[in-house]
Amino acid sequence: MIRIELIKQLRRTGYWTVLGVLAAISVAITTIIGLTSAATPERLGDYGSVVPNSSGFTMAAIALNSSLLFLIPLAVAIFAGESVSGEASWGSLRYLLAGPVARHRVLASKVLVAGLFSVAAVAIVAIFGLVAGLAAFGWHPLSVIDLQHASPFATGLASFSPFQALGRIALATLMVTGTMVSTFSFAVLCSTLTDRPFNAVAGGVLLAFVSRALDNIPGFHALGPWLPVTNSGTGLWSQVLFQPTNLAGYPHLAIVQAAYAVAFLGSAWVCFNRRDVLS
Amino acid sequence: MIRIEWYKQFHRPKTYLTLGIVAGFSAVLTIALVATGSGQTEFVGDLPLRLVPRSSGLTVPVIALSSTMKFFLPLVVALFAGESVAGEASWGSLRYLLARPMSRSRILWSKAAVAAGLSGIALVLVALVALTAGGLAFGWHPLSVTDSSASTALHTDVSVTGVGAVLGRLGIAVLYIGAGMASIFAVAFFLSTTTRRPLVAVAGGVAVTIISRVFNADYLPGVMAVNRYMPNNDIDLWQHQFTTTADLSGVPHFLLLQAVYFVVFMGLAQWWFTRKDVLD
Repeated sequence: MIRIELIKQLRRTGYWTVLGVLAAISVAITTIIGLTSAATPERLGDYGSVVPNSSGFTMAAIALNSSLLFLIPLAVAIFAGESVSGEASWGSLRYLLAGPVARHRVLASKVLVAGLFSVAAVAIVAIFGLVAGLAAFGWHPLSVIDLQHASPFATGLASFSPFQALGRIALATLMVTGTMVSTFSFAVLCSTLTDRPFNAVAGGVLLAFVSRALDNIPGFHALGPWLPVTNSGTGLWSQVLFQPTNLAGYPHLAIVQAAYAVAFLGSAWVCFNRRDVLS
Repeated sequence: MIRIEWYKQFHRPKTYLTLGIVAGFSAVLTIALVATGSGQTEFVGDLPLRLVPRSSGLTVPVIALSSTMKFFLPLVVALFAGESVAGEASWGSLRYLLARPMSRSRILWSKAAVAAGLSGIALVLVALVALTAGGLAFGWHPLSVTDSSASTALHTDVSVTGVGAVLGRLGIAVLYIGAGMASIFAVAFFLSTTTRRPLVAVAGGVAVTIISRVFNADYLPGVMAVNRYMPNNDIDLWQHQFTTTADLSGVPHFLLLQAVYFVVFMGLAQWWFTRKDVLD
């Protein structure tokens, strides 16, 4: 079932276009920076600062940093939102469910494949940034300045050997993926509720939009740590590139994301099992 | 033909829903400002401008336009433009529309005109509702703005503008933002002629905005070289109107850029749509 679903989605040109755009943007950023201003420091997250031409590893982090706010969430919302409602919009959902497979298994395989594509979306940004960066600036140790802890007495400088840097970049990619879980789950829920993929994708994007807006209203400060998408949550990944690495906020973020995943995916499961499928 | 299109769009609940959300945004923004401390300074844009909402209701349209121009308004514009032709195709009624004794390009341009009109209404609604709600909440007083980029610890650069002048400048701001949406509109409209799935066209328009945001030198200094050619990056120049220095030197370049994007993508739309085999 999963294999069939995977093959079906792998044949869609639209999905390849989305992944292709993500890859192209990583490469384009590297090319532009490499050609015009390779020595200008770039910001990572809220406090990080790197000089691109010091090491190829910087480009993976820069590519992640510039895509994770809107571009990656949009891609994730497209993959998750298309999963069930895409099938409904083609009018083939009822035939799919007529097969001798339990509904929840159909849903599970769709969610799994959409999840794979979403993970691929984040990974592609990092991998293409990394490959382009290594080609442009070489395999050198990575140094990152932590501006929050930089003072006249301490530089806040973190250095990683190339292999360490590779590990840290992988960890950063994983953390960015982790913050996409709530967006993904909500788009899946929307996808089971509507026949129009557009509504599901818009739902996923709107979750981040509304959540950030609520996060920025001063009076709702207490709500902040419990919202699905927040500036502080999104910025947390850059901590893995600092020394000392302060991951104190991460368990909380992981729990919140997991809770939203359980709530949204659980609702999707309930809705999809009970719904009268007409298309 | 344009009248028929208007009529059609205004019988769709979705049109009202979208415009309602747009108007609702400004209203909710005002309520949020009242509820959560209107005496606090708001930082607007990249300069940033510093505004205190309680000092004048005229701050609200400035805040509303600033917070919608980079994502929300482009989304709405992409929605109207992307739905226009692809929406018709997804209902399967495009072929019947084209069977009328009318040239394809006239049909295309009347769809474009209606989508552009709806986008314009959305933009004006953001400003008008914010102006009204802000005025009711805080009164229409002269607008005083602190320009952070020109201020130092010893000197705060405050510009005070009278109510009439602010209204005029808000009008210019609306026109400027409207012109700035031309590129996104044209891309979404072109995509709309190439697909029968509205989602593709709308997502394409939104993606243009987002890609523009990625290649923005304010956030990623290394891409300075392409910053000026991105469709949505200089959309905030109108904010300079409210500073003492009023540096508007980037405006002609931005308007020219929008015109180029518009001509290229609307030309592509026309070229594509008049030649394609319409099967939906």
